[in-house]
Amino acid sequence: MMHITSLKSKTKHIPIATLADPPELYLPLYGYKGTMDLLVQPGETVKKYQPVAASEGVFAACVHAPVSGTIEGIEDINGQPHLKLINNFKDNEYELPSLNPDGLTNAQILSILKEYGIEGSGGARFPTHLKYDVEGRISTLIINGAECEPYLSADYALLKNELPALVKAIQLLQKVVRAQWVVIAIEKQHRELKKLLSPLLPVHAIETHLLPNEYPQGGELQLIKSVTGKELPKGSIPAQHGIMVSNVGTLWAVYNAFYGNKPYTDRVITLSGEKARHIGNYSVKVGTPVWFIMQELGMDWNPEQQTVILGGPMMGRAVHDARSPINKGTGGVLIMPQAKANDNNCIQCGYCADACPQRLMPMEFVRPEARADKERLLQLNLTDCIECGACAYICPSDVPLMKSIFTGKQTLQAS
Amino acid sequence: MNVNPYIKPRFNTTTAVMADVILALLPLVAVAYIAYGLQALLVIGTAVGTALVTDFVFSAVYVKKTTAVLDGSAVITGLLLAFTLSPATPWYVVAFGAFAAILFGKLLWGGLGKNRFNPALMGREFMAAFFPVMSSAAIWVTKSFINVKEIGFLGTNSYLATYTSGLLYKTTGALGEYSVAAIALGGLYLLIRRRISWHIPFALLAVFSTGFWLVNDGDDLKYSAAGVLLGALFMATDMPSSPNSPNGKLYYGGMIGLSAFAFILAGVRFEYMSFSILLLNGFTPKINEVFMPRAWGHKHDFKALAEKVFLLTLSIAGGVLALLSLHYYGLTSYVVYLYIVYIIFKFNFSFSDKISNPI
Ligand code: SF4
Ligand code: SF4
Repeated sequence: MMHITSLKSKTKHIPIATLADPPELYLPLYGYKGTMDLLVQPGETVKKYQPVAASEGVFAACVHAPVSGTIEGIEDINGQPHLKLINNFKDNEYELPSLNPDGLTNAQILSILKEYGIEGSGGARFPTHLKYDVEGRISTLIINGAECEPYLSADYALLKNELPALVKAIQLLQKVVRAQWVVIAIEKQHRELKKLLSPLLPVHAIETHLLPNEYPQGGELQLIKSVTGKELPKGSIPAQHGIMVSNVGTLWAVYNAFYGNKPYTDRVITLSGEKARHIGNYSVKVGTPVWFIMQELGMDWNPEQQTVILGGPMMGRAVHDARSPINKGTGGVLIMPQAKANDNNCIQCGYCADACPQRLMPMEFVRPEARADKERLLQLNLTDCIECGACAYICPSDVPLMKSIFTGKQTLQAS
Repeated sequence: MNVNPYIKPRFNTTTAVMADVILALLPLVAVAYIAYGLQALLVIGTAVGTALVTDFVFSAVYVKKTTAVLDGSAVITGLLLAFTLSPATPWYVVAFGAFAAILFGKLLWGGLGKNRFNPALMGREFMAAFFPVMSSAAIWVTKSFINVKEIGFLGTNSYLATYTSGLLYKTTGALGEYSVAAIALGGLYLLIRRRISWHIPFALLAVFSTGFWLVNDGDDLKYSAAGVLLGALFMATDMPSSPNSPNGKLYYGGMIGLSAFAFILAGVRFEYMSFSILLLNGFTPKINEVFMPRAWGHKHDFKALAEKVFLLTLSIAGGVLALLSLHYYGLTSYVVYLYIVYIIFKFNFSFSDKISNPI
């Protein structure tokens, strides 16, 4: 692992502001697995918080209208289906049965997690109801407060400003998991939070754990190792080892669902980057297109001049479509200058291998990937790569390591 | 860029890596100048100049890149080559060495980073194969060129003072070997800047000195401490030709130390370092394979690993013996001739197709 300049101090102390509602929203219809079916018809008027699409099965997911308005239809953005919703700014609310969070059974909690569309907010968007369906086999509950991506400070802002709410969410989830040990893990660079968190220890039996400032400390496997000392292989299910990891953003969604009776329709993101203006932490509606965020904050959508990234700079995705929306897993929007890549040969410096948290040899993937040699790629444990981008970040020659990792994985899947 | 990551560390380019190495080597140029004056600069300048010109011309021809010369790697090759030479080496021999180092040592492999062997040492072997004078003792007679014989920082009145001044400055050996202190300083800089890791020099020096400690008559064996240090810090750590994983580096460094010691025991006078480094260069891909790091959450199969390491060590020992016999019968130049045929063949039938690949 390695150290990356965090650049969070730009935004971490800025309180969370609420961004205005956009005139049009694009709700992602794809979940952790599979696509959702529409529950409404194009042309139909929907109310705020009304479920508009859902999928069934193990990985069941659903999405709700964040505002009231008219469904326009399905649009393809970045190769994925999105439901376009035109805001009528009337804020007619959908009638949801009222909740008494303290009197719920475990089964009821799980079903609310499902019906309110709660998903992991760290990026992978794993359905939370599925994750917490564990029947008390958990000994350690880790709250992942390590936003290891540079620039992003949304989780930090939540921890700093909404701690009582997050504790309530933890207590609610604790009813289901009954873990003996609850830890909030934060990075050393945020040690000032510890003062805020430490009074929790006697009252709620929640501990804090300081993590080294290394990338990618927030990766689930790396986090589990730092907190518990257990090195779980990629692909293993932490719950089977008695460990549960939840993200700060997810807790916030849980709190809003149970104590605010609000489905997962907004989240906190960080807006930052070298070319961004009015940087800070913002609460935005799921489905808000980037063009609107930029316009609200006094910037122009101009793909020739800047790179707009959804997520963090290490693992996020550059978007070229102005309609690209915030989804439940998006932790930030970054406006960066266009980057120039070097055009050099690999000098075999080994920096990529040193930086790789999974202890792989990233430079070795390039050649077998080019000749689609599956056997060799498997031998090199390409499947263990967590796509954290550390190798490509550190490479002095800008060897297209991530490209060969993504294509290599596709090659492996195509068997 | 259209894939993540979208940020890069500042000042972390190939050129920056090369610039650090050049910076680390500059004190050695200064020491060489103090020792042999313009004669030293002539050798170093010829080596660096020829390396740059060769890199420019043949990169344009074979690698189809005219900017490759700017990355700084040719300067390093030229400097390192010069540092293994006697200040009395004729300039045209130096020029030939630098030319061969760049063309046969680097470009015909496909350019920067693709070479299997250390180009500077390769150049040195080419010189020895084509110019018999290189292997004669006469070339090391350099008294007439000496500029500053000794620097009396500490006086000469105690054993310790003489010994320490010997580390700071002496005038025997090759151009890069006049100051152990300057070599160590450069190495330290590279370690701090993380341009080399400690594994190779540490294992190399540890095994090498243990060898001498075990053999009691070590005092009678002739070797140059500065030469070994220079090799350990700057030659054995050459990025493309050395392994990448920490354990691989330890093994590789250790084996270089062991082979160098074996060569010295067997009476190889000057080329123990270049022989052992070049030999182990040849085993680098195999070492990378055997010492692949244990991926996260995986387990090592120690029995299989031990077997692989044993076989690998056996083949390296075979390599040492083979080189020794060739050296004994004065046949090492034939290895160079064979290499020329091999590399030309490989370039035309395989490497030239992959010129534009970054690896
Ligand atoms: S992207 Fe994959 S190969 Fe690269 S550093 Fe991360 S885990 Fe290692
Ligand atoms: S970091 Fe880049 S240049 Fe260095 S070994 Fe890895 S791929 Fe090659």
